[in-house]
Amino acid sequence: MHAIELNHLTKRYGNARGIEDVTFQVAKGEIFGFIGPNGAGKSTTIRTLLNFLYPTSGTAKILGKDVVTEAKNLRQHIGYLPSEVHYYDDMKVKELFRFSAGFYPGDSSKHALELAERLQLDTTRKIEDLSFGNKKKVGIIQALMHEPQILILDEPTAGLDPLMQSIFFELLKELQQKGTTIFFSSHYLSEVQKLCNRVAIIKDGRMIKIENMEDLHAKQFKKVHLHFHNKWDQKIRLEGVLQENKTVNSYEFIYNGHTRNLLDQLVTIPFDDVTIEEPSLEEIFMHYYEKEAGENDGL
Amino acid sequence: MVFKREWKRAQKALWIWVLALGGMTFLIMSIYPQFAENKEQLQELMKLYPEAMLKAFNIDQLGFDSALGFYAIEGYLFVTLFGSIYAAMLAGGILVKEESDRTVEFLLSKPISRVQVVVQKAGAVALVLVVFNTVLSVINYLGFQVAGDDHIDMVTFILISLAPLLLHLTFAALAFGLSAFFRKQRLVTSISLAIVLFSYFVSIVASISDKLSKLKWITPFEYVNSAYIIEQASIKPVYLIIMIIIMVISVTAAIVKYMKKDLVI
Repeated sequence: MHAIELNHLTKRYGNARGIEDVTFQVAKGEIFGFIGPNGAGKSTTIRTLLNFLYPTSGTAKILGKDVVTEAKNLRQHIGYLPSEVHYYDDMKVKELFRFSAGFYPGDSSKHALELAERLQLDTTRKIEDLSFGNKKKVGIIQALMHEPQILILDEPTAGLDPLMQSIFFELLKELQQKGTTIFFSSHYLSEVQKLCNRVAIIKDGRMIKIENMEDLHAKQFKKVHLHFHNKWDQKIRLEGVLQENKTVNSYEFIYNGHTRNLLDQLVTIPFDDVTIEEPSLEEIFMHYYEKEAGENDGL
Repeated sequence: MVFKREWKRAQKALWIWVLALGGMTFLIMSIYPQFAENKEQLQELMKLYPEAMLKAFNIDQLGFDSALGFYAIEGYLFVTLFGSIYAAMLAGGILVKEESDRTVEFLLSKPISRVQVVVQKAGAVALVLVVFNTVLSVINYLGFQVAGDDHIDMVTFILISLAPLLLHLTFAALAFGLSAFFRKQRLVTSISLAIVLFSYFVSIVASISDKLSKLKWITPFEYVNSAYIIEQASIKPVYLIIMIIIMVISVTAAIVKYMKKDLVI
């Protein structure tokens, strides 16, 4: 039995872009990344999994149970962090935790306070007075407090400072060791790379690819920009260049391969300045995945 | 959980409305003794008013010559009209505000079904309105005591206290049912208020004009007409049934719609 299972899941609604024929499985105990640019259908997929939206066609199962017909029972085992956290503004943080705890058996508000301490969140404050990052912490805690088997996190790191991000990632790793399945969306590939076992990539509502993280690590991407003071001969050929853009005095390309190989090759080029950076996900999509998806479709 | 939370959340507004409306009727009743002293002069004065106005406020049927009649003309208007506005606003907002304030993503990620959310919220509205009307009735009763010597027929008093509750529940149910079809609280509030005010307007028109008297069937205010209740010491059964049908249909519609609704945030 898979922890999460989507079969040809399709959701179309209004003018908003939905998702089209999405199929993938998440194994139990896996950390599964779900990445794509903004508006690709990540939140739509997640909201359908939580039954805020009804699928147009196809099915989805969590822990072997249908997300529509067994929605209420399933929620017992799911912790959910929305991409934008909105809470009742008349409540204090600890009141929200108490309210939240009331829906689950046992007293999970104690665990909530432990988590709050770890994330350095003041629970006596009113929620409406909290900063965006602190609201996000409230969201994280209320998703984790009842120790769910499945965690569904929609862009969990947006708004967290780097220190909090690393505490949060530690928490997730601990939970994975306890057997929790974690499904999380992001639009940063680099963020997902650190944590996930596998990633699914979605664009324009369609699944493009599922990658094992090990495979993806072999595929390191770099965005390289070479600058020349004077005209250059533009006849350089490098291995692993995916997409290049040459001008009179610059050479920009996306590199795919081992970074060490890249450096070895660069040494031979008489450039005056160089910048090497992480390409954005969009750039990788444009230059790599989209091409590959096209080939798979036989185009 | 949801029921308890909504009950608690409603407290502030509830007691503000109780204070405002209770204070108003209490004040009105406390000036009744002066009215009663000058009864004859008053009746002369009333003859000078246009007939339409007397009809509109039931003065033609009730007269100012008993405390109950005086209340039915003056205080009852506040309780029915303003109470209905409160009821419609409370019930119209309670469900849709979760979407409007984007808190529904939090609430429905908890192990609670959509039907439970709707039923518990409807229950909270009902409880709030029962408490609202009970407290107002107690204040009224005290008002009648202050008003003095009249012996008050308890059956009539209970009916005149029960009728506003039924009216409030009817408008609340309408607003509640309606709200399930919308996503923005402001819109629901406006429409609910429009329904209450329009119904009131229709009830006035229907009581003034004989030609338009058929219109009384479409306005809940007519269902709880104080003149009829005081004269007959009963609420017309057909109106009672209509109100109950409106409530059942509205709440059922809310449940059915909410169950199928895509909660787009």
